Amino acid sequence: MQERSSRARRATVLASLALGAIVWEVAGRLTSEAFWAPLSVTLKSLAELAERGTLLHQAADSFSLYVAGLALSVLVGAPLGLLLARVAWLRVALEDYIMVLYATPMVALIPFILSIMGFGFAPKVLVVFLFAVFPVLYNTIEGARSIRPELVEVAHSFRTSEWQLWRDVMIPYTLPYAMTGIRQAIARGLVGMVAAEFFLSPSGLGQMIMMGSMNFDTAGMLAAILVIVLVGVALMDLGRYLERRFAAWRGIGP
Amino acid sequence: MTLAGPREVGSALSNRPTAILLKVAGGLALLAVWEIVVRAFAPAYVARPTGIARVFFEVLGDREFLAAAGATLWAVVEGLLISIVAGTLVGTVMGRVALVEQGLRYYVNSLFATPMVAILPLVTLWFGYSADARLATVVFASFFSIVINTCDGARSVPLDYLEVARAFRARPLSTLFDILLPSSLPYLLAGVRLAAGRALIGAVVSEFFVSIPGLGFYIVYNSRIFKHNEALVAVMVLVAAGVGFDALVKWLTRRFMPWGRRS
Repeated sequence: MQERSSRARRATVLASLALGAIVWEVAGRLTSEAFWAPLSVTLKSLAELAERGTLLHQAADSFSLYVAGLALSVLVGAPLGLLLARVAWLRVALEDYIMVLYATPMVALIPFILSIMGFGFAPKVLVVFLFAVFPVLYNTIEGARSIRPELVEVAHSFRTSEWQLWRDVMIPYTLPYAMTGIRQAIARGLVGMVAAEFFLSPSGLGQMIMMGSMNFDTAGMLAAILVIVLVGVALMDLGRYLERRFAAWRGIGP
Repeated sequence: MTLAGPREVGSALSNRPTAILLKVAGGLALLAVWEIVVRAFAPAYVARPTGIARVFFEVLGDREFLAAAGATLWAVVEGLLISIVAGTLVGTVMGRVALVEQGLRYYVNSLFATPMVAILPLVTLWFGYSADARLATVVFASFFSIVINTCDGARSVPLDYLEVARAFRARPLSTLFDILLPSSLPYLLAGVRLAAGRALIGAVVSEFFVSIPGLGFYIVYNSRIFKHNEALVAVMVLVAAGVGFDALVKWLTRRFMPWGRRS
């Protein structure tokens, strides 16, 4: 019974994907070429882009930008969050402002960054960083705050040094929470990446979409969007995996 | 550093006027650092606290600015309403009918994961360089988080309630309005909070791209002519709108949906 229902489930999913593909194809054939390209044409265009090496080249461009911004946001956000959790007066002084920055739509800052820093790699990394850093910072603070006071007290009774306290209590306890922040950062960083590639100097996958739209090459544009959608889904799965993996480690259910 | 744990220290601090004093001091320190860094290292046009304070009320009283703010925020509200109605419908059906859920789940999840910026060129292709493109972007940005949340909500309805409803031979419509909707409402509101933030971003990026009057365009235009102080006031209005709306929804959930309190 169980096996049958799971097989029926898989069949439904496959059928819905097939139906989606057919709708995409038919919609492309019924409307004008400029509005929507059939799936077959889109895939052909994708294969062409891959063959010419454009896809790999642009994806590598995007990837380096994304990883640089994301890595920077974790390297800054997590230690700063731990520090703020440990130094209570500093946290009380700053936490409300961090919340406001967390809620700030960072896209709105892109025009400022463009006019101050101009074109180049650094301003784009800054955009990805700004998109990604606040979820990491905020969740790390929240995690470190929820450390049970007894743990810190016991550690102090055993005369732990500050470094040992960080290594054995603060960091292990906070990691699952930081991972929740990193999962959010993974998703927001991708938005930041595409926004930076659109509105600062065009590059990478964002440039591929722009080129397609400017040349009325709808198939090329859809191919690039399809790649970004797939990357987005893969990154979301990765984020969820990381979060679950470390949540299980601390014995906290997801 | 005291021997007490972080939480005890925190609560002791937040119970006293010292906490407020600390917050004010923290804010002033941030503003001072901003002012000094900009004065020392950045060109004169870069926004800084004293510059913003000088233009703040002038911008807020500017008719053109108010029209821009109204256009953007109205588009966000309109798009959110469309998403809430359509998203609740789709999400509830997905949550209650397994076949629909299996069929749509991949589409909903992938479109939720898609950075909305990426579809801007496609949206402008369909809707032209117009306010419709902005509305479409806002709907795209907010729709899927509402679908996902209402779907979770409809699935979390306690089975006992449904059984009681069946035992009393409740009509399907009253089951929907008296059991399904109230119990998934807190989930819907959680989805609306998430959607509102995304909708605001959607409105701003579409204005960047399409260049129609609104706060996003106001920011682009003014930062291009090096009026950064003025442009930053627009960012502050965006933040205030986002934070204010979030607080409102949170308050509504607490005040009117005591059953929605999840730990």
